[in-house]
Parts: sequence; structure tokens; C-alpha cells
Amino acid sequence: MATVQFKKIIKKFGDNLVLNGVDVDIKDHEFVVIVGPSGCGKTTLLRMLAGLEEITDGEIFIDNLLVNELHPSKREIAMVFQDYALYPHMTVEENMNFALRLRKMPKKEIAARVTEAANILQLNKFLKRMPKQLSGGQRQRVAIGRAIVRKPKVFLFDEPLSNLDAKLREEMRVEIAKLYQRLNATIIYVTHDQVEAMTLAGRIVIMNHGIVQQVGSPIEVYRKPCNLFVAGFIGSPTMNLLSGRLSIADGVSVFFNESLTLPIPAFVLPQKEARDGREVVLGIRPDDVLVEHPGGEKCSSKIEGVLEVCELLGHRENLYLKVGGQRLLATVEAFFNRSPGSAVSLCLNYQNMHIFDKVTERRISE
Amino acid sequence: METLKSIYEVTWFILLVAAGVAVLIGYLYSHFKFYSRSWFFPAALAAFPLLALAVFGGLLGGYTFKLWLYFLLAEAAIAAFFRSVVKGRHTVPYLMLAPAFVGLALLLVYPFIFEVYLSFHDLKLTTIMTWKNTGTLPFVGIDQYVKVFTTSPLSETTFWHLLLRTLVWTFSNVFFHVLGGFILALMLNNHIKFKGFYRTLLVIPWAMPQVVAVLAMRGEFHSTNGFVNIVINKLLAVFPFLAGLGVAPVQWLTDYPLLTCTLINIWLGIPFMMVVILGGLQSISSSYYDAADIDGASYFQKLRFITLPLVRPVMMPAVTLGTVWTFNNINVIYLVTGQAGGTEQADILVSALYKAAFTYNRYSYSAAFALVVFAMLFFFSVFYLKSFDAAKDER
Repeated sequence: MATVQFKKIIKKFGDNLVLNGVDVDIKDHEFVVIVGPSGCGKTTLLRMLAGLEEITDGEIFIDNLLVNELHPSKREIAMVFQDYALYPHMTVEENMNFALRLRKMPKKEIAARVTEAANILQLNKFLKRMPKQLSGGQRQRVAIGRAIVRKPKVFLFDEPLSNLDAKLREEMRVEIAKLYQRLNATIIYVTHDQVEAMTLAGRIVIMNHGIVQQVGSPIEVYRKPCNLFVAGFIGSPTMNLLSGRLSIADGVSVFFNESLTLPIPAFVLPQKEARDGREVVLGIRPDDVLVEHPGGEKCSSKIEGVLEVCELLGHRENLYLKVGGQRLLATVEAFFNRSPGSAVSLCLNYQNMHIFDKVTERRISE
Repeated sequence: METLKSIYEVTWFILLVAAGVAVLIGYLYSHFKFYSRSWFFPAALAAFPLLALAVFGGLLGGYTFKLWLYFLLAEAAIAAFFRSVVKGRHTVPYLMLAPAFVGLALLLVYPFIFEVYLSFHDLKLTTIMTWKNTGTLPFVGIDQYVKVFTTSPLSETTFWHLLLRTLVWTFSNVFFHVLGGFILALMLNNHIKFKGFYRTLLVIPWAMPQVVAVLAMRGEFHSTNGFVNIVINKLLAVFPFLAGLGVAPVQWLTDYPLLTCTLINIWLGIPFMMVVILGGLQSISSSYYDAADIDGASYFQKLRFITLPLVRPVMMPAVTLGTVWTFNNINVIYLVTGQAGGTEQADILVSALYKAAFTYNRYSYSAAFALVVFAMLFFFSVFYLKSFDAAKDER
């Protein structure tokens, strides 16, 4: 098992800058998920680590060994592809032991490793089958098995679940989590799905436009998004983002726009004087929009709103509210028995309030 | 005036064919409508040949009775086909296909049946006038088939020798077609500049009319003025040591006619294979190569374990086609060696067959000969495609 370091990685396709100075340190035995919208360069980063894409500038270390010029097979990594890339003319077994056969490993050893991987992934029944005779989930397992048998230093997963249907994706997500517990390997996992990132990761690397936006544990990036992009990207449903301006009235910082005026307590925004008059974006997750709540010390005062639409999800309910001209999404426990159009009172939870500078998009609240 | 007359004749012929097709289609339509009526089968059997006689009878003069018989047979076959096979299902598709079938029947089925008929009779220069006058030919049973294997279509070469030569010719041609096509396709499949230009250039021999291409190449193999010998002479002048290695200008067309034909045909056939294989290569997902890179496969291992098996499905039908085409390739052999005073050293089965039919006028013999060649290719193709299907089912 191994550590991985990206140092000032730059990738250009012609004049198109895909990655702009990526710096990430991945520790031994860590499960790191690289997440971002499509086109953010996450897959390119992974492919550069695998050696399938040239590095324009910067350095990649695996186990403190500079691998920039190393052939993919010498990097001791294994990759699981989005489309599985199972060789269609080989059986499951042949697919799994292809790399070992190329290395001229003794047959006994090959058989032992394949059996071991097949046991882990419950593929014993399918070893003689062709990939096209397998379902999507089984193919996915074969692709993982092909990675396992090689006993690599680092596992790379390139959007491995995106070709599966929703239910299977959940199952495989759990499988991968179990696999990680069992293998205890260094895993780098690329996805565009923030749910996968949140559930699987030990640490999340959030990327956008070829730049690392934030690196942190799932709870860190959820609780303390460091900029507007991360705030909007992580969390489902998406965080409410309200544009407005800060001012100081009676010694208290106040956020206001045309529909809403909200005092901001000092524990949310410590340096209130420095922020006076700034244009800001206030972020509040739908869970922290408290509807028909008694209020309290950590809550804002009551705000009157109108219920526009209810969406029942089962145990939770999405409420689309309107406060003046401002739309707000709140999630509450089911069942919220109000008809659309009725007035509701709500308050915002100060404890999980985020304030971002509108110009720099950086977080300025605690 | 002459041109007007020929235009009039052509127009008349086209109208006649169109009318024939229209009648046939209308007739088929009535089939589809009345296929299940009890009176339909006998009525159609009686009515349509009469109609055909009325239309074509005058045109064909003395053959009316036979013609009527053939129509009756064709009629019975078609009607039986529609009653027992089609059974009123998918009527519209068959209707749409009917014009094409009529064309195929005229161009393929009728000549084929006539050839089978010829092969069991004796049509040659001495009997052709009898045939013309009486319309009958002496029936000889399988004599012609026996002759195919025991006598030779040519003066110098036996049938078995011809067969062996044909096999060698086919194998060497197809082998180099595939090899050359594969190498060129691999090169074109890389990211290189001016790819479209190279591809166009490489496809030219295939796109040119074969007669033009072959005759041009034949000129290049001329002993004194041909490109090949001139190049050899220049090379000898520059590198005299080559003469010591036995390199010298050669009388290509007279001393090595089959080799010359083979070289020309290889040049002609490579583009087709290249295009087919290139199509196959481009359909292989690049992620297989990524996976193989990570698995540690070298260039040749990738070629062997990934490219070849994945190109096979597109290559096999092309190889089958190429084999049949090469086996039956009369153009190159005839154009290079076949003209008056030509040699027999390069003749393969089909070019010998051509000579037997149109130089020696042994029509029935060559009909039997052609059927034997057909049988060989038929069994070869069936066997090949069957084994290919079996290989595919394994997957």
C-alpha cells in the first residue's frame, strides 16, 4: 500500500487548460474520492496518475517514487473503468488473470489469486462465462476482481457506478465500502455523484475547472464549505443561496436584500466591521430552514413566507417557500399538512449558516 | 436517323420490361389478396401463363410451348412459396421486394438454371446449329462432369494442376491482402497528420476501374520500358554489389506471368482489406488498450490479445469474400496474359474456364466446369461461415 502525491499538476490539451496546479496528498490506506461536475478534469487527473495521459507539468509520486515517466504497468496501480473495459473475447477468469499471465506468474499462484478474488466478490459461479453473459453489476465486480488479483499499491476507480441503475448503484456502493474495509488499500475514486463521494470517502477532493476547491472529510466539506462552489455542489437537496448585502445596524451585523432582513449574530460572522457594506451570498441548507419552529437562541426570528409546492419523498418532504421575492427550499419531516398558497412561518438555523463573499466566492463566516 | 431508331428501340425495350414487371407485381398483389381461396391456385396456374404468352409469345417466336411450360413451373413454384411459406404474413414487405426479386431472377436464377441444363447436355461448336434449328440438344448425363476431371480445358495444363495453382494463387493473394491491409490499417489508425490524404491515396487502386488499373500495371512490368525493370537497372547502377546477389531485370510477363499477376492483384486487393480492417480497428474501444496498458501488455501483446481477436468479427466475412473474389478473379489474369498469343502458365480455373467457353467454344463442358467451381466455393464459404458462427457462439 502506498501514498500518492500530486504536485502542481498542470494538464493542457492544446491551448485548453484542463488542470491548473493540482496539489493533493493522499495518505496510505486512504479512501479518497475526487468529485466534481463533468469536465472538471477529475478523470484526466486519474488517468495521469495511471499513466494513460501525459503530464504537461508537475510531478506525481506513488510511494515517494516519481512516476511521471513510468509506464502504466510499472506503477503498480489497478484501474476500474467506467465502461469496465472487460476484454469481450475472454472469459471472466481470463479477464481477471490477464495481467498475471502477461507477467508469466506461476500458474498455481495465478489460480490462487483468482480464486481469492472470486471469493471476495462472489464470482466463483461466473469464472467460465463471457462478459456479455453477465449483468451490469456482475461485470462491475469482474472489473474490480481484475484489479484485486494484481495486488496493486493503489486502486483507481473511474466513475465505476455510473453505468448502473440506481438500485444496483446503491448495492455496489455498499460492496465497495465493504471491499475497502477488507482490503484496507489506498483507493482513489472519481465520481460526479456527490452522494457516492459523501458515503464512500475518507476524504473528499472537490474539483471544478481544473482547480481543487476543497479537500476534507465528508463532514468538513458539508459543514464548512470553503467557497460557493463547494456549498452548492455538496449536499442534496442543494443549499439555498441568497444574495444580499451586509450592513451594521445598532452594533449588529445585518444581512438584507429586497425580500429579507436578517440580523447575523457574532458567532456566525466574527469580524463584522470589516465586512460592512460587502455584497455577500448567504447559504443555508434546506434542513436548516426550520418551518413552524418555536425558535430559540440559535435561531433567527420568525420570517413569514408562503408555501408554493410540497414534494413528498416518503419520510421527508421538500417545501418550496417564497419569502417576499426570495425562493427558499426547506426539508421537513413528513407530513406537512398544508395546502400550497398557505402562509407559513419559518426561521433559519444560525448554527449552520454560511456566508460567502460575492466577489471572491470565499467563505467569510465561521 | 440511326440514333433515333436505336433510341426508339431502347425505349421500347424499357417499356416492355417495365410492363413485364408491372404485370408481375400486379399478379403478386392478387396473390397476397387471394392466397387462401380454394380456387386461387388452379386459376393462377392457368391464367398467368396464358397472359404471359399473350404478351411475350409473339416476341419469342418458335419457343412458345417451352416458354409456356417454364412459366407454368415458375408459377407453380411462386404460388407454392406464397401459400406454404408466406401464408399471408408480411405481405407488404414481400410486395416491396418483388421488383428486386424479379431482377434477380432474370439476372441470376435464369442463367443458373440454364447453366445446369447445359451441363447435362452437349452444346459445342458442332451442335450449336442443330440447337438453333430444332431447339433440342443431345442429353449426355454426367459425361461433362466426368470430362471436367479427366480432360483439360487447356492444351498444356491439367485440371488438377490448375486447381493446385488456383489454390496457391488464392492463398498467397489473400494472405498478402490481409497482411498488407492490416499493416496499413494499423498505421492509419494512429494519430498522424494528413490521415485523410493517405487514406484517399491508398484507396485509389481500389476505386479505379480494374481494367485501367491492371493494364497500367501491366505496362509497368514491361521488360524494357516498365517501371519495375527500370528501377532494378538504376539500383544495379548505384549498388553494383546487388548483381552479385542475383538481382537482375527480368522478363516479367513471359518468364514469371503468375508472379506478375499475383503482384498486381495484391496491389489491387490491399485497399479493400485496409478499409474493412480500419473500420474494425476504429470500432475497438480505446479503454481496452488503456486496461491492457495497465495490465502491462507490450505493443505486440496488445496486438495479439486485443486487436486481433476484436478485429476478427469484421475480418472473417471480408476474408471469405476476398477468397471467393480472388479464386474467381479472371480480370487480372486475362488482362495481363490472356490476350492473343498469351501464355497458359498463369491460368487459374476461371481463366481456363473462360478460354474453354469462348476460345474453344466448349459450352456444355464449361457449364459443368463452372458448376464444379461453384460447388467448391459454395462449400468453402458455408464451412467458413459456419466455423465463424461457431466461434462467435462461443463468446
